[in-house]
Amino acid sequence: MSSSPTEVKEPARTVEITMPQMGISVAEGTIVEWRVRRGDLVEADQTVCDVSTDKVDVEIPAPASGTLARIAVEPGETVEVGTVLAELAIGDGEAPSEDDRSRVYSPIVRRMAADNDIDLEQVEGHGIGGRVRKADLVAFLEEHEGARPERPLHTESPYRPEPEPTAVAAAASDLLGPTQREPMSAMRKQIAAHMVESRRTAAHCTTVVEVDFGRVAARRDELRPRMADRGVNLTYLAFVACEVVAALQRHPILNGSIEGEEIVHHSDVNLGIAVALEDGLIVPVIRRAQQLSLEGMAAAIGDLATRAREKLLTPDDVAGGTFTITNPGQFGAVLATPIINSPQVAILDLEAVVKRPVVVERDGEDAIAVRPMSYLCMSWDHRALDGAEAARFLGELREGLEQGRFES
Amino acid sequence: MAELTYLEAISDGLRTEMRRDESVFCLGEDVGAFGGAFKVTDGFAAEFGTERVLDTPLAENAIVGAATGAAIEGMKPVCEMQFADFIACGFDQLVNVAAKLHYRQGQSVPLVVRLPSGGGFSGGPFHSQNPEAWFLQAPGLKVVAPATAADAKGLLAGAIRDPNPVCFLEHKGLYRRVRGEVPDGEYTVPIGEARVAREGGELTVIAYGSSVPLALAAAEALDEDIEVLDLRTLCPLDTEAILASARKTGKVLIAHEATRACGVGAEVAALIGAEAFEALDAPIRRLTAADVPIPFSPPLEAEVLPQLDDMKEACRELLAY
Repeated sequence: MSSSPTEVKEPARTVEITMPQMGISVAEGTIVEWRVRRGDLVEADQTVCDVSTDKVDVEIPAPASGTLARIAVEPGETVEVGTVLAELAIGDGEAPSEDDRSRVYSPIVRRMAADNDIDLEQVEGHGIGGRVRKADLVAFLEEHEGARPERPLHTESPYRPEPEPTAVAAAASDLLGPTQREPMSAMRKQIAAHMVESRRTAAHCTTVVEVDFGRVAARRDELRPRMADRGVNLTYLAFVACEVVAALQRHPILNGSIEGEEIVHHSDVNLGIAVALEDGLIVPVIRRAQQLSLEGMAAAIGDLATRAREKLLTPDDVAGGTFTITNPGQFGAVLATPIINSPQVAILDLEAVVKRPVVVERDGEDAIAVRPMSYLCMSWDHRALDGAEAARFLGELREGLEQGRFES
Repeated sequence: MAELTYLEAISDGLRTEMRRDESVFCLGEDVGAFGGAFKVTDGFAAEFGTERVLDTPLAENAIVGAATGAAIEGMKPVCEMQFADFIACGFDQLVNVAAKLHYRQGQSVPLVVRLPSGGGFSGGPFHSQNPEAWFLQAPGLKVVAPATAADAKGLLAGAIRDPNPVCFLEHKGLYRRVRGEVPDGEYTVPIGEARVAREGGELTVIAYGSSVPLALAAAEALDEDIEVLDLRTLCPLDTEAILASARKTGKVLIAHEATRACGVGAEVAALIGAEAFEALDAPIRRLTAADVPIPFSPPLEAEVLPQLDDMKEACRELLAY
């Protein structure tokens, strides 16, 4: 009779890791990379893989602690929400004291196994984590001497087809000098596809107005300290966003989208704000922006930008936009012709606010004054509207920014 | 065959070469009247005269520079640095002049610089260093580091007879602690040949200098199938012997008392990784001093320098891998 104490062990079972529902707008995801390998010990909530959706990248956490028993979906594969991605082995009855390395082989072990036609799964390892050491394989070979599987009767034909003639490299590549290649990231591929598609379908036109930001600047200086006390950073962008929302409600066509041969009008203004990331660009959306005050708008922009840079956006954060503002002016550019974020019909580009000499009228006299100026460039889809409408919208936007009272 | 200490073997080797060849002479701080800081040249001035056993000013650059000039003129100078650490003051003459003369002018420089190196005696940061890696990045120098009395004698003679500048690292900790049979009379050990100090099949410890007795003691204490390869020459490395042993055992620990970063261990590990990758059964590991100056405090110094227990533990880990 055994005198060893009875241990209460959790029965061995398997837990599936599935493609999660990452927001109502997401139906499928692509595995970008597995962070763990088969046999690795995984802790609950540890990130096991990265999934890319058509919106954002998401880290998938382990649903429980255990050993990764199987990976079902390889990197690059796209599967529907709910699909099993991997399996975790839970509670195998042994304390998971060290990594299971029984199926990790050193170069010499691999080579000896290949030379001797050995299936390494049959060899018991006695190294750290159950590693099959060279010594274990030598012992196994000695034990099984002569017991090797017979050679198959059929021998593969030595015939090999002629290799395809390799194309002669173009002379231009010789002139290019040394190059390096890297695969496009998932984000870059998405941006590329989306931009090319928009260029292909939308009839792009760009209209530009010049805006005097003097009044905005003054109001901003006035409101800024109080808002800062409340943790809100008041930017020119917030003023522009508020005026855009107001103007959009008077020009609903610019808050629409094109689906096939229909124009869809949206009741809400869901304002997309383009945020530059280290490796790309993302457009989180401020939903029902028409309900926001200037301070609410500034807070929403700050929150989205922060979460975008920290990669904390959910797929729903970037879905459902009806109009987009892009703001690369912070880097000093003064003019651009952006590509429409289709199926939206327009995108507004806010460039740098810079001091310029302009002619102003004061008391009926023309004078030259130094004013903080900027260009607002809007690309719009000629399929949905015409130039006069775009110019009217921009004109009202300018007037709003130059004359507005800007209630906080 | 006589049993000599490592220190006596160095003296014996130097004395034998000076008797054999009149062009051999030695120079350094206190090597003459005082017989050397560690008494390597004790009695030399009486036997060979002060013209062949030159006391110099405290100026390492002058010592190496004068020796380089003498070597160009056909002499075979043996410089003594009182401590290996002080070669830093003579570095320009050694690295930029002596090491490059053959490349620049086809001029051989049969010069030996004796470098009493190593710690373990609370000598602190200026008297305990193992500076061999400094020289390994100066093409034109050969570097030897004996671990036994016989090799100390034979490699010193080999260095003196070599037509190139040779850095001879003699570990101070071995001076009186290591003794062994040393062949009488003229005896040379070829530069560039490693030595299997202990045969084994499951793990190779590649060591030199003070790490060789440490590795042997660990292998004995563990009673495991460990091979100990004593490099003896650090430049040029005996790549054949290193790769043969690595391929045989598939597990390699490289041990030296010098600091870790960019040291001999790194070079040997890179060699094995490049040439014997498919024979490896475990990662190549190093046991070295920490990358810090050597402390005076005995417990701190023991923490910084590899000890027997560290060697045993490193061996055990690799054997179990």
